[in-house]
Amino acid sequence: MLSRLSDNLERYMDLLSARQKVVASNIANADTPGYKTKDIDFQSEFKSAIGGGSPQSIEVAGLPVKNDGNNVSLDRESRLLTENDMRFNLASNLIRSEVQSIRAALQSGSNS
Amino acid sequence: MSLFSAMSVSASGMAAERTRAELLVENLANAETTRTPEGGPYRRKDAVFTSQPMSTSFGSLFESHLQEGVAVSEISVDTRDPEQRYLPGHPDAGPDGYVAFPRLNPAEDMVDLTSSARSFEANVAAISAVKDMIMRSIDLFK
Repeated sequence: MLSRLSDNLERYMDLLSARQKVVASNIANADTPGYKTKDIDFQSEFKSAIGGGSPQSIEVAGLPVKNDGNNVSLDRESRLLTENDMRFNLASNLIRSEVQSIRAALQSGSNS
Repeated sequence: MSLFSAMSVSASGMAAERTRAELLVENLANAETTRTPEGGPYRRKDAVFTSQPMSTSFGSLFESHLQEGVAVSEISVDTRDPEQRYLPGHPDAGPDGYVAFPRLNPAEDMVDLTSSARSFEANVAAISAVKDMIMRSIDLFK
């Protein structure tokens, strides 16, 4: 859209919203017997998102499994929820500052 | 926008937890009920959750593997034998003086109720986090 940087930020935000969706599913299924926690491998998915791929979810290994076969940890999910929110906030502020600098350049051009 | 579907996933979680809480409250209210329309004492009910893909439109079919909502697939009814208490004066007492009471443990239901309320709150927190993200995307226009 604006530059390569903001294109990458846009994909970063897309990936964050995809991850937020996975976290929301995990929380919704916190009491579903046999449900396994899902996640997105952020680093490798970001590399593939730059190449134009769509994210794939994976099952998280190493979480303690409850008696009903469910391994959702609400503490882990709420941490990820906050983390994604903060990352998204950062990315949207970066895009906003870029838009503002372009706007400033346009306005200083019209004033002269 | 894909974030809106994350809200419907959390909403499905809230609906399922609400159903579970309703059943648990019903159990607590009927802890001493000896007469039911089906006959016999009240039997403990519990909700069984199942995950279900949330694909509402053609476009979202491709990414349905990312998001799974939750639904109540069945309501299980306790099939164990009722608890027998010796109360010869009770109108529902059998010829031997024993009355069939529901086999349920209020402590168990209270613990489940707390867990259900916590899960409901977690879903609310997820919705408000996603809502924040959506609002921040909208703020980019300002």
